[in-house]
Amino acid sequence: MDPKITEVSQTFERFKAAVVRNDFDACTRLLSQLKVLLTSFTSLPPLFQETSNAIHELTIARDIYEHAVVLSVKMEDQDAFERDFFQLKPYYTDARGRLPASPQEYPILGLNLLRLLVQNRIAEFHTELELLSQSALDNPCIKHAVELEQSFMEGAYHRVLSARQTVPDATYAYFMDLLAKTVRDEIAGCSEKAYDRLSTSDARQILLFSSDKELLQYVEKEHPEWEMKNGFIIFQKVKDSVPCKEIPSLQLITQTLSYARELERIV
Amino acid sequence: MTQDVEMADQAPPSKSLSSADPSVLPHLKEIASLIETGAYAREVRRISRAVRLTMVLRKKLKASSLGAFLNFVLVPGSDVHSRLSSFLPKEDEHDMEVDSATSGTLASVKHSLPELEIYCYLLVLIFLIDQKKYDEAKACSSASIARLKTVNRRTVDVLASRLYFYYSLCYELTGDLAEIRGNLLSLHRIATLRRDELGQETLLNLLLRNYLHYNLYDHAEKLRSKAPHFEAHSNQQFCRYLFYLGKIRTIQLEYTDAKESLLQAARKAPQAALGFRVQCNKWAIIVRLLLGEIPERTVFMQKGMEKALRPYFELTNAVRIGDLELFKNVAEKFSSTFGSDRTNNLIVRLRHNVIRTGLRNISISYSRISLTDVAKKLRLDSPNPVADAESIVSKAIRDGAIDATLDHANGWMVSKETGDIYSTNEPQIAFNSRIAFCLNMHNEAVRALRFPPNSHKEKESAEKRRERQQQEQELAQHIAEEDDDDF
Repeated sequence: MDPKITEVSQTFERFKAAVVRNDFDACTRLLSQLKVLLTSFTSLPPLFQETSNAIHELTIARDIYEHAVVLSVKMEDQDAFERDFFQLKPYYTDARGRLPASPQEYPILGLNLLRLLVQNRIAEFHTELELLSQSALDNPCIKHAVELEQSFMEGAYHRVLSARQTVPDATYAYFMDLLAKTVRDEIAGCSEKAYDRLSTSDARQILLFSSDKELLQYVEKEHPEWEMKNGFIIFQKVKDSVPCKEIPSLQLITQTLSYARELERIV
Repeated sequence: MTQDVEMADQAPPSKSLSSADPSVLPHLKEIASLIETGAYAREVRRISRAVRLTMVLRKKLKASSLGAFLNFVLVPGSDVHSRLSSFLPKEDEHDMEVDSATSGTLASVKHSLPELEIYCYLLVLIFLIDQKKYDEAKACSSASIARLKTVNRRTVDVLASRLYFYYSLCYELTGDLAEIRGNLLSLHRIATLRRDELGQETLLNLLLRNYLHYNLYDHAEKLRSKAPHFEAHSNQQFCRYLFYLGKIRTIQLEYTDAKESLLQAARKAPQAALGFRVQCNKWAIIVRLLLGEIPERTVFMQKGMEKALRPYFELTNAVRIGDLELFKNVAEKFSSTFGSDRTNNLIVRLRHNVIRTGLRNISISYSRISLTDVAKKLRLDSPNPVADAESIVSKAIRDGAIDATLDHANGWMVSKETGDIYSTNEPQIAFNSRIAFCLNMHNEAVRALRFPPNSHKEKESAEKRRERQQQEQELAQHIAEEDDDDF
C-alpha cells in the first residue's frame, strides 16, 4: 500500500470519528489537512492520470468530499457546502466511467437542488436538473426536490411545508427549515395583496405560527405597515385601482421627440 | 493553367473505361483548378465557391473517381497521398496502377498546395461519412485536424471550417463527442489567435453543440458569454448559434430572450433545413407557452411540419384550455417524443402555466366563486385542495395574473371588475413598442446596406502587396519544409 494512501485513510478515519463526536473544530482541521493531502494524488480531477492506484484514490477522495458536504450541512455553512459540492461534482460527472456509483450520489445531488431552491437560484436549479438522467429523476431524493420546486412555483405552500415530514434524509432538515422561512415570507407577501383583511387567528394559521405572540413579533419585525385592529389584520393597500387620471406628460414628450428625431433621419 | 486543361482532357478517357460515373472526375478537377487560382490570387470567395460546388457532387462521389482525383492532385507516394488512399476501399488493382502511372508523371511537375491537400482531406472525409464508415472517418478527420493546426493561410479557413464541422459530425455519429472537446477548444483558441473568424464561429457552435449534447448548459453559457463576438460571416452558423443560445436561455428561465433567439433562428434558417426549423419551432412553442402566450394555429400548420409538431399542438391545446387532466394525459401520451426532444423537463415547468390559465378563465367567468369550486375546477389532486387553492390564488393575485381578492372567512374569491383598458396607459405603451420596433428595423436595414469595414484593404498599393505575398510564400515554404522534416 502506498504510504500516502495509508496516511490519507488514517486521517480520514480520525475525521469520521470527529464527525460522529460532532467535534466541528477537529473536523474542519482534519478536513483541510485531507484536502491538502489529496492534491498530491495525480489520478484525481482534473488530471485523471491512469495510475495503478487510480480507482482507490478516486474512491477515497470522493468519500472525503461527500463527508465534507454532509459536514457543511451539519455546520449550517452554505458557502462551504457550495465549495465542497463543486469539488465533489467532477467525481460524479467526469469520473462516472471509472468508478462504481456512490450510494450517496443522489442524496447529495438532491441536497444541492434544495440549496439552490432555498437561495432562490431557480435558473441554476434547472441547469442542474438538466444534467440528471430519467432514472435519477425517479430517485426519491431528487424527486423530493423537484416536487418542492413545482409546488413552490405554483404557490401550493402547504404542500411545501408538509414535505418537511417526508424528507428522504436527515440532512435535508436544515434546508427544509430555511425553506419554511422563505415560504412564510412568500405567504406574507401574497396575503398582503390578496386579502383586504384577515382575522388574527386566520392569519396565524395561514402564516403557520403556533401562537398569536409569534405572529405579533413577526408582523412587528417584517411588516410594520400592517395595521392590527379589533382582532383583525388590515393590510394597507395602496389604493391605486383608480385608473391613471393624470397624463404622464414628461414620458410623452420624450417619446414624441424621439419619433421626430428618427423621422428626420429617415427623411 | 494550360497544363491543367490538358490534364483534365487527358484523364477522363483513361478513367472512363473503369469508373462507373465518369462525369464526377472532370468536375472535381475543375474545382481543384478553382481552388488553385483562389489560393494563388488569395481570393477566399473562389474557395467558398469550390466548397459549394463540391456539395452538389457529394451524392455522386465514388471510391474510384476519388482515388483518381487523389492521384491527380497529390504527389503519389507522398505521405498525404498514401494516408488518404488507405481510407478508400480497395478496388481492382489494375485500375489503380494505370491511374498512378498516367497522372503520376504529370502531377509530380507541380508541388501540391496546402489548400488542395486540405481539400482532399475534406473530400475523403465527406465520402467516408456518406458511406457510413465512421471509424475510418474519425481517423481521417483527426489526421486532417492535425495537419490543419500547422497551416496558417486565410484561404484555408473556408475549407478548415468545413473540416471542423465534419470532424465533430463523425464523432457525434459514433457517440464520442466528449472525446474531442479538448481538441475543439484548442482549435478555437488557435482560430482566435489567427483571427480566423469563420473558424471561430464554426468552432464555437460545435463546442456549444458538444456541451448541449451532454446537457452541460452551465459550461455552454460560460463559454458563450466569454467567447469573442463579431458580426456573423455565415448565415447557417449564425442560425445555429441563435438556436443554441435560445436553448441555453430557455433552461435558464430567460424566456423573453430565448423566444427572440429561437424565432429569429427559425426565420433565418434556409428553407431546405427542415429538420432544423422543426427543432426551432418546437422549442419556440414551449417557450411561448411558458411565457403565457398561445402560439397561433398557423405555426403548427407550416408545410412539412404538421406531423412533427402534432404533440406540441395538443400540448398547446391543453394549456390553452387550462385543463390539468388533459395536460397530464398529453404529457404522458407523448412522453417518448418529448423525451427524445429533451423537452420533458420544460413540459414539467408548464404545469404551472396550465393552472394559471385555468385560474384566469375562472376569474373571467365568475364574479364570485368558492375556493372549493376553484379547487374542483382546477382538478388539484392534493390532500388539502382548498388550502392549496387559496395559496395558489393568492400567489396568482400577487403576480398580477388575475385581478381579484380573497375572502378567507367566507372562503371565496371575488373577481374585480375589469376596468376599461383604454382608460389606462396600456394602448400608449403598446403603440410605442411597435413604433420602436419599426424604427429599429429601418435603422438596421440602413446599416446593412453599408459596405463591410474591411473594404479599404483594396487600396493597398501594388508594391506592398507584392512584398507581402512574397513574405507569405516564403513562410509557407518554410512551413512546408518543416513539415517534411516532421514526417
